[in-house]
Amino acid sequence: MDTPALIKTLQDPMGIPFFPVVFQALMVLTFSLHILLVNATVGAAALAVYGRLAGGEFWTKLAGSMAKAVTMSVSALIVLGVAPLLFVQVIYDPFWYASNMLSAAWAIGFLLIMMAAFSASYAAVARGDKPGAALFGALALALFLAAGALMHVFSYQALQPERWMSWYSRAAGVDASGTTLHSFSLARYLHFIIPGLAVGGVFLMLRSWYLEPRADADRTALDRAARIGSGLAFWATAAETVAGVWWLMILPDGLRFWRNPTFIASAALGFALLGHFARVHFFTEKPQRSALASASAIILVVLAMSSAREALRMAYLARFEYSPLAQRVTLDWGSTALFFGTFALGLVVLAYVLATAFQSGRVAGRYEAGPRMQAWGRVAVGLLIAWIVVVAGLGVAVTLRNHGV
Amino acid sequence: MYPVWEVPHLTAGMILGLIATFHMMPVYLSTSAMWFAIWLESRSVREGRPDLMDFVRRYARLVLIFSYVFGALSGVGIWFAATVAAPRAISGLIHNYVWGWATEWVFFLIEIAAIYVYYYTIDKVDAKTHLKIGGIFALASWTTMIVIVGILTFMLTPGRWPSTGAFFDGFFNETYWPQLLLRTTSMFAVGGAYVLAVAASGKNERVRVEVVRAGSVLGLAGIGLGGLSFLWYSSSLPDPIRSNLAALMTPGLRGGMIYPTALLALLFAIFAAKPGAARPWAGAAALALVFSGIWSFERTRELIRKPYVIPNYMYSNQIIGGDVPSKGVSSELDRINDKGILRLAAFVPDELRTVTDANRLRAGRMVALIECSACHSLQDKGLRPLPERIRRLGATGPDDVASVLDSLGGIPYMPPFAGTADEKRALAEYLLSISK
Ligand code: HEC
Repeated sequence: MDTPALIKTLQDPMGIPFFPVVFQALMVLTFSLHILLVNATVGAAALAVYGRLAGGEFWTKLAGSMAKAVTMSVSALIVLGVAPLLFVQVIYDPFWYASNMLSAAWAIGFLLIMMAAFSASYAAVARGDKPGAALFGALALALFLAAGALMHVFSYQALQPERWMSWYSRAAGVDASGTTLHSFSLARYLHFIIPGLAVGGVFLMLRSWYLEPRADADRTALDRAARIGSGLAFWATAAETVAGVWWLMILPDGLRFWRNPTFIASAALGFALLGHFARVHFFTEKPQRSALASASAIILVVLAMSSAREALRMAYLARFEYSPLAQRVTLDWGSTALFFGTFALGLVVLAYVLATAFQSGRVAGRYEAGPRMQAWGRVAVGLLIAWIVVVAGLGVAVTLRNHGV
Repeated sequence: MYPVWEVPHLTAGMILGLIATFHMMPVYLSTSAMWFAIWLESRSVREGRPDLMDFVRRYARLVLIFSYVFGALSGVGIWFAATVAAPRAISGLIHNYVWGWATEWVFFLIEIAAIYVYYYTIDKVDAKTHLKIGGIFALASWTTMIVIVGILTFMLTPGRWPSTGAFFDGFFNETYWPQLLLRTTSMFAVGGAYVLAVAASGKNERVRVEVVRAGSVLGLAGIGLGGLSFLWYSSSLPDPIRSNLAALMTPGLRGGMIYPTALLALLFAIFAAKPGAARPWAGAAALALVFSGIWSFERTRELIRKPYVIPNYMYSNQIIGGDVPSKGVSSELDRINDKGILRLAAFVPDELRTVTDANRLRAGRMVALIECSACHSLQDKGLRPLPERIRRLGATGPDDVASVLDSLGGIPYMPPFAGTADEKRALAEYLLSISK
């Protein structure tokens, strides 16, 4: 069986319920959010360990709040990771599944590693500034990096269908143990990990910007943290460009990816980001004043890079006559409407919850919601109840029609 | 057909079962806990009882860490485990139900934001706002159940989906409402067990007694209503599934559902009457009972689906054995019987594509991996070990085994053998060789 034929036999025969480009866009979007949180986790975990080791009042405090931030951003990255995990299975099913099966034991291992990493990060918080905090923090960081390496392996193996069979075959038949990891690219892995420091830096700037208005804020410490943040953001972005060039150099011949417009656009944006961080770090008095601009810029660049990576994936797989956009579509309007309706409604509710967090964290004492926030809260609860009523109504109607009484 | 993951003794499906059962523990906590928490919180506001908030804080912390760390991870874990247990099946489900899962995901986002904000703003925001955040969490969390029950029940009773292929026709199927009610009521029994576990270690005597009593009453109500829903649920099961139930239900599984539930009810009854006697061990015992009850229930649910992973469409070994005309998909059995599984499956080494004298046993093992290993261990011990099953049937030669293979399709809970006569022979010889 040649590789294109093999891919065809694997592809799900049922087709998909909506236009593939919509799934692709959602995949890129949600993956970008996921990887931003992954970056933030790696950055915060590294800062927490460094802070514990450096000691002193400033670093000890900062390490404490970074350790706590790690636990939250891990929760968020897991939930945000669910969506791209779902969408990749819709438009890249043969690749994702084959790759997972070839290292199946590690798919379960990934889970155990994440649980251990999570526990270690909580232990690091629980230790406070007692000895051992650095050790647990370092353990958490190492385990997060290992989990990231596994995800890298799964996506990287997925891009090499021409090698799958040789990974699976053994002299005596096949290796069905799933215990081997088959392919790893350091350049690509680094390209995912280094931005952690840049995002960690931006996170420090944001934190200073956010806490500054509080009555009980320690402004000297916040200034210092923001400066450390801008430095990290600049140097990590510089290192990232080097890793990017290295990655570009090891791409398979014939892809000519450097001529791809999404690549050119994202590279240009990357350099613009570097220039922005240089300005903020070297020529700005208080980097936290540029925190929002920096955060927006880095989000934009991550989106662009994710799009470029998607273009790269399409280029890889086009060599095997596969296109994620060439799917059999069996339109299902009902469930499509269900999702987009829920999504719109969910954003209103989610934004209310986050706005409450934002506002209450900015005051030193107890926060009292104003009339507009209260109204928003009522709308949020009402929307959830309305969702339940509508779906239940639909369910009753379908049940009566299909199954009588 | 994807590569196979052979887990010695256990089978990959068992790994999935373990993770899925574990996952139910944090999930039921999450869906039920907040109703209890906001009830207590509003009492605390109304009656001016800040001491009650001490329990609420500890309960919310448990939800935060257990549900949104281990729960979220094991939830993702189910995806991975389901993938490596049966990639083609999860692919089939996702290609139909992707928007359902995506909808559920929107509520995950709300849930996780809400529980963090709820926990970290206790005493830091005004009471009304705090209760609203709690309410949002409780509603969003239960909504995830509304969604997932549609997909779970679809895997058992696909409703009119096979003929229409429409999402909601499969989603709101004949067991949807009973199972939603069953899960909704029994989640309060689970929530009650957690209340016991958290409250029993409380320092404030008055709070401890009050909360333990309320939690036990809640748990009792959950078990009572859950029992009634279970009766409705069982009566909604269609005939083929009932006959599977009759054939496959072991005394162990039946007892595994009944005894833990009865003991849990007893525990709740004791502490509803004498809440002061509750100690942390009681909470631990209640949770252990919950786990074993859920394990038996979910195992049974898995078992009665056999031989299918997607009813009347895909067998547990991922061979498509039925037509779904609305999706333009038809059974693969005829083609496989004609051309051979080793020729048609994607991941078979070229050298094994045709059975020869030189490769018979290896080819037979390949067939067993593809067609049998999802439900049977190929080792001597473990889950339904094939060597032992073959020995038990007293087969002495390849012909005996081949006639066993011929009869597989007649057993309601097993897929038929699929493949050419050569392949059947090779499988028979292989099975004989491992059962010696
Ligand atoms: C859908 C899951 C499933 C698959 C796939 C499956 N079996 Fe089974 N098999 C079962 C169940 C369930 C039983 C009955 C319970 C038991 O024996 O423990 C069973 C029982 C058996 C028995 C004992 C029958 C008896 O009368 O005692 C044999 C032999 C057997 N299977 C062989 C096979 C072979 C060979 C294959 C592969 C071609 C296979 N099975 C595939 C689920 C499966």
